Amino acid sequence: MEGRELIKFFSADLFIPKLKAKSKADSLDEFAQLFARTRVIRKKDIVLELLKQREKLGSTGIGKGVAIPHGRTTAALEVKIAFGKSEKGLDFNALDKKSVHLIFVVIAPPQDENNRYLPILGKLVEILNESSNRKKLLKAESFEEFIQVFKEAE
Amino acid sequence: MLNKQLDFLVALQDLDTMLKDIEDVKALGFEVAGKEKLQEARDQLVRKINKPLLSNYLKLQMRYKRSIVPVKDDVCLGCFMRVPTQLITRGRSDQEVILCEGCGRILYWYE
Repeated sequence: MEGRELIKFFSADLFIPKLKAKSKADSLDEFAQLFARTRVIRKKDIVLELLKQREKLGSTGIGKGVAIPHGRTTAALEVKIAFGKSEKGLDFNALDKKSVHLIFVVIAPPQDENNRYLPILGKLVEILNESSNRKKLLKAESFEEFIQVFKEAE
Repeated sequence: MLNKQLDFLVALQDLDTMLKDIEDVKALGFEVAGKEKLQEARDQLVRKINKPLLSNYLKLQMRYKRSIVPVKDDVCLGCFMRVPTQLITRGRSDQEVILCEGCGRILYWYE
């Protein structure tokens, strides 16, 4: 999978340049509300429950200021990725204990026959491991600037 | 807060999917912490579900792996049979758990 292949899972209405949330719990709630508002799912509570349960397996704060909460839910019909940026940073209990500024929330249906879920997560991690990509994402203020990072990523 | 039986069933299937994923990862030789907490959450959730509904969910899970399937364009995506109009109206109202007349699986409407 190439970086540009991720682009189809993003959308302008799932892009939050400035998260309102001041905590990890609040941010999961903000994303769940966004998924419901944009009709990716019908009910906020189901996806919020999923994301909260997933955090019980260990923080999705993977370090270097990045978190990727994710899960497969019956409530989703297709793979979608929401993105949000926190200027102050959130305590996600990340592996390196650093504050999280870049949050990608990936939701997928359990019946994804193309089995894209794990390759998508893997590619996201690979792109975000590059410090130059993280810097560009931190600077990106519009959806177009955000997408450009993935267009340029291999 | 989840307050409807269908929501509980969907949350249960999501937890079962997550637990199955953990087993798959473990089979590859990786250690996954926190499974007990998920199992605990599952046990608590199961107590909120009506017994006949839960029993049917488990029976369908044995048979099909996934008990709840989406409805898209009024078609059950489990068996691809068109859902009768009267069931569509009841299903969309979200007040009850509707089963597919073709395969018996629990139907979930996205819109």
